[in-house]
Amino acid sequence: MSSMKQRELPKVPCKLEMEVDKISNLPGHIIDKILSHLSLRDAVRTSLLSSKWRYKWITLPHLVFDNQSVLVSSQDQTLIKNKLVNIVDHVLLLHSEPIQKFKLSHRDLQGVSDIDRWILFLSRGSVKEFVLEIWKGHRYKLPSSIYSCQNLIHLELFNCLLKPPPTFDGFKNLKSIDLQHITMDQDAFEYMISSCPLLERLTLMNFDGFTNLNIHAPKLLFFDMGGVFESVNFQDTFQLAVVSIGLYTNTGFECNLTFGSAGNLIEFFAHLPRIQRLEVQSYFLKYLTTGKVPGRLPTPCMELSFLSLRINFNDIEESLAALCLLRSSPNLQELEMLARPEEQSAVRAPANVADEDYENCPFNQLRFVKIAGISGLRQELNFIKFLLANSPVLEKMSVKPIAMDGGWELLKELMKELLRFRRASVQAQIIYLDP
Amino acid sequence: MAEADREIIKPEMMKSYIWLQTSDGSLQQVEQEVAVFCPFICHEMHSGMGSSKTYPISLPSRVSPAMLSLILDYCRFHQVPGRSNKERKSFDEKFIRMDTKRLCELTSAADSLQLKPLVDLTSRALARMIEGKTPEEIRDIFHLPDDLTEEEKLEPIKNTIDDPRIRLLNRLYARKRKELKERERLKNVEAEEECVDERSVEDLLSFINGGDADSKGVKTSKNKKKNRRRKDPQKNTSSNDTWTSNSTSSSGNAADKKESNGLDSICHEHDAAARDDLLSNLGKSLKLPNIDDSFAPDDEFDAGDLDDDIDPAMKEKIDREVEDFARRLNSDWPDRMQEILSLGQERKRILTANTCNGSLRRYARLDQQQK
Repeated sequence: MSSMKQRELPKVPCKLEMEVDKISNLPGHIIDKILSHLSLRDAVRTSLLSSKWRYKWITLPHLVFDNQSVLVSSQDQTLIKNKLVNIVDHVLLLHSEPIQKFKLSHRDLQGVSDIDRWILFLSRGSVKEFVLEIWKGHRYKLPSSIYSCQNLIHLELFNCLLKPPPTFDGFKNLKSIDLQHITMDQDAFEYMISSCPLLERLTLMNFDGFTNLNIHAPKLLFFDMGGVFESVNFQDTFQLAVVSIGLYTNTGFECNLTFGSAGNLIEFFAHLPRIQRLEVQSYFLKYLTTGKVPGRLPTPCMELSFLSLRINFNDIEESLAALCLLRSSPNLQELEMLARPEEQSAVRAPANVADEDYENCPFNQLRFVKIAGISGLRQELNFIKFLLANSPVLEKMSVKPIAMDGGWELLKELMKELLRFRRASVQAQIIYLDP
Repeated sequence: MAEADREIIKPEMMKSYIWLQTSDGSLQQVEQEVAVFCPFICHEMHSGMGSSKTYPISLPSRVSPAMLSLILDYCRFHQVPGRSNKERKSFDEKFIRMDTKRLCELTSAADSLQLKPLVDLTSRALARMIEGKTPEEIRDIFHLPDDLTEEEKLEPIKNTIDDPRIRLLNRLYARKRKELKERERLKNVEAEEECVDERSVEDLLSFINGGDADSKGVKTSKNKKKNRRRKDPQKNTSSNDTWTSNSTSSSGNAADKKESNGLDSICHEHDAAARDDLLSNLGKSLKLPNIDDSFAPDDEFDAGDLDDDIDPAMKEKIDREVEDFARRLNSDWPDRMQEILSLGQERKRILTANTCNGSLRRYARLDQQQK
């Protein structure tokens, strides 16, 4: 064993300026910053550089285990998994507290008991950001120790099953939560959201286990949701500024209307007084048409500056709902209307929105409009005409038709009409984009 | 009064200037709007400094005049509000093209002036220099001394650190090694089980009493172990059989033996202190093979206790294994640990599969997924 100790004599410190080591004595937080720009593997390898560098990596605030940070070259799945588990074990044991962020997102990792063990380890510390992405296999059931990580500020889960224990009382410091492809009970979900008092951002994509969303989060600012649901209700979300909702199914929500309710459109906006950006995606506009669709909302959305609607121009209900929204957004600056592709090519509905519905309604702030996926329907042209006539400060409108075989004639007609429309704004540019 | 002076001196300039002093004592006059881009200077200004030559803002020692001029160039460009992101980015790319020594100094200076965007920029540049390079290359670039011993380079776990977590790791390794050795011995002992089981209680008692003449402590502990051992084969026969029948690789047993000897060598390299800790924690019921205890040769059951004494052959074997292990350690350290730990996992998986239906299903599913 003594033969192994080959000590290399350190270089005689050179007096030339060029040879001086300037990096090792930088303050710890700067070294952390430098190392945090490296993959975990490179960062840990710095421990081989010199005696001063031996333990510089163990104060790394972020630990990211993904396909970039751990290189295991092998075809054998078991071998990869074992190596990975080993590396995570080693890093966790050698690292010194506190770990600020822990991200595990390696595509080959499926070992359930190992992840349980690591979460238990983290729950004893003070981890602030936790990201777990399970790329393969069934939904991973999170161990109960995750629910005791009370220092969490950001939680991100992909392909997980959440089942909080009965003693779970919410995450008191959680500000942002991102759940995608998760399974959870309705009650558990509602309770979790409502018992995170500081929650500001909520992202929810592809969920099962619940179909009625009741979001009670007084500090919520950002809400992004896409999935299959029957109803979505906001309670006390008076700060909510950015909302994007996509309903991926065409059915299932009509029957949910209770007697005497004002209709989905009004209910939806009743709790969103401060909304600034709204994206209505997939079939959500259809959901909003359930119930009464008024000419205008009872209270206008004074702060709404960006609106994006996925709409079926053939559907008169949806067109009316869109009009209602437009009329209730006097301060709109940017508008997108995107036609839902598969329904456009359906039978042209004879019923059209009556011309008087397009009564004058000034859009004093509207600058940019984007219309896409149109195919020359009367309805579409009416909308464009309406917008052009009522937008005195319009700068740019881009129109992009849908690609259609032999539709060139129709598109020519479309362009001719467009040129003819009256424009309220002298600066308005109408840009025609190729399909 | 000072302000009035300044305005008289430069009536044609609409800008106001502030005075900065670097660590070497030299003074500089800088446009205020540029300088206040640095939070440090901004704060100092608010507390009244820098307005005249006699009361300049003293910059931290890490800011040399050369670095200050670089930093001011940066501030001068970025404080102009109208620039596009593209312009800023392209300026940044050109700005950080300098040798590593200056880059380090610049990082340090920017940090002391709390100029976070510049610190981010330079840190990222330094990271890019480290990324993907071998340790030799990195040492070359940054002029780092190569002062780690070969041993230290290979051992990611430093034994002299009195870190309870590392001691726990050592204990875990030792326990695994012990378990592996147990398996080995149990397999060897099975053949001799017949005679062991047929001892009568009287025989045992006489053996116990007769052994008192020798070192008492040693004997009693050995007896404890013996009793345990006798219980163990009965309890573990089923699982043992399972294990041997389930070991898929033909070299399974041989590999295990090698592993256990490999783990022996780990114990060799530990401090005596760590070893003593291990002993106290594992209880005196099982002695580690490295302890040179000799037992009375007239104990007829010594033959079965292969691990209690180190006969010369064993010692030689251990020495050979240490060297072998050292050589293997020169290759990938994580690989070694992965083999050792995965062995433990496999065994656990097979054992629990037989005892708990729930986990059997779970593991079966995992297996399926791995396909």
